[in-house]
Amino acid sequence: MKVRRIEKVLLYDEGAAEELNTEEIAKYLKEKLGKAQVKVRGNPFALWLEKSSDYARKLASIKIQDVNRQIAPEQEPLYGEVSYEERRILGKTKSFGVLYDGFQLQRVFSELIAREECSLEVVHIFFTNRLFATWEENNNRYHARTSMYGIPSVISTTGLVEAPAKPREYYLLKQQYEMLGKDLLELKERLKGSFIDYGDERLTEVIKGYAMQAVFYHLVGDPFCEDKGCRLYNAHWQEELIFAQLESEYEFCERHTRILDNLRRK
Amino acid sequence: MSIPEIEVKEDKTIKELMDELQLSTAPILLMVDGRIFYPDVIKGRRLRKEDKVTLIPLIAGG
Repeated sequence: MKVRRIEKVLLYDEGAAEELNTEEIAKYLKEKLGKAQVKVRGNPFALWLEKSSDYARKLASIKIQDVNRQIAPEQEPLYGEVSYEERRILGKTKSFGVLYDGFQLQRVFSELIAREECSLEVVHIFFTNRLFATWEENNNRYHARTSMYGIPSVISTTGLVEAPAKPREYYLLKQQYEMLGKDLLELKERLKGSFIDYGDERLTEVIKGYAMQAVFYHLVGDPFCEDKGCRLYNAHWQEELIFAQLESEYEFCERHTRILDNLRRK
Repeated sequence: MSIPEIEVKEDKTIKELMDELQLSTAPILLMVDGRIFYPDVIKGRRLRKEDKVTLIPLIAGG
């Protein structure tokens, strides 16, 4: 298997959840990657604020209005939607709740990368609290996602909460709670720990594994592993995510451990 | 999944190459002459026989 060289890993905070510690993730990546430089860059829009209205329009036009309908290529956004996006870019709000087309969001973010740093040897990872989804042809609807891998890779702190399915028990109890008019916060408290939630102190640890998926995407072209105990496992359930990132007895499977060992020796 | 590099067999445009590979609507980036592009940005660009193009698939997780 061809393993590519990585020169740099650049981490950007595009309004990710406050409990995310990007410095700790940078330190973790440095330990894993040996000679590659790892830098925290902060807000990726900071260098492009004079173009904030252009980016605001682009972001507003890739908003998903209906998960059962694929967005039109040149969707015309409303004034209020553009204005919301501009406030977000300028750091005047960190609110979330909009659902974006994942591949289109990745494309808008790609425009923020300097041309000379756009290469397979430089890993760009955007952490965001924006929620995104991709259109699935097999059932004609959008599915929420945790991450997009490419240039840049994008990891959503909201996606980690919302995209992987919660334990089956949660959905069964949720129906009962709704029928009885009970507070859903009480349900979350009852099942606390069995899924990643907003304000979860485990978030940084979990995201280390997703950052490594972005790294492996560059190294070997595949961010994922079939081994459920490897941090590169592509979890679709919260239980799988928690096992792969927090509870497994090992961090990486033998094959991926070997790749990292070889990388550090070089 | 991988990031394959292909060699162009005959002169053609990027659009023709994408159509031939049935990748016209696929989420993908291309590396041509060491630079990375979305295919639609350089769709009219002509490739020559033996040019190398790297196909970089975009992948969603979770």
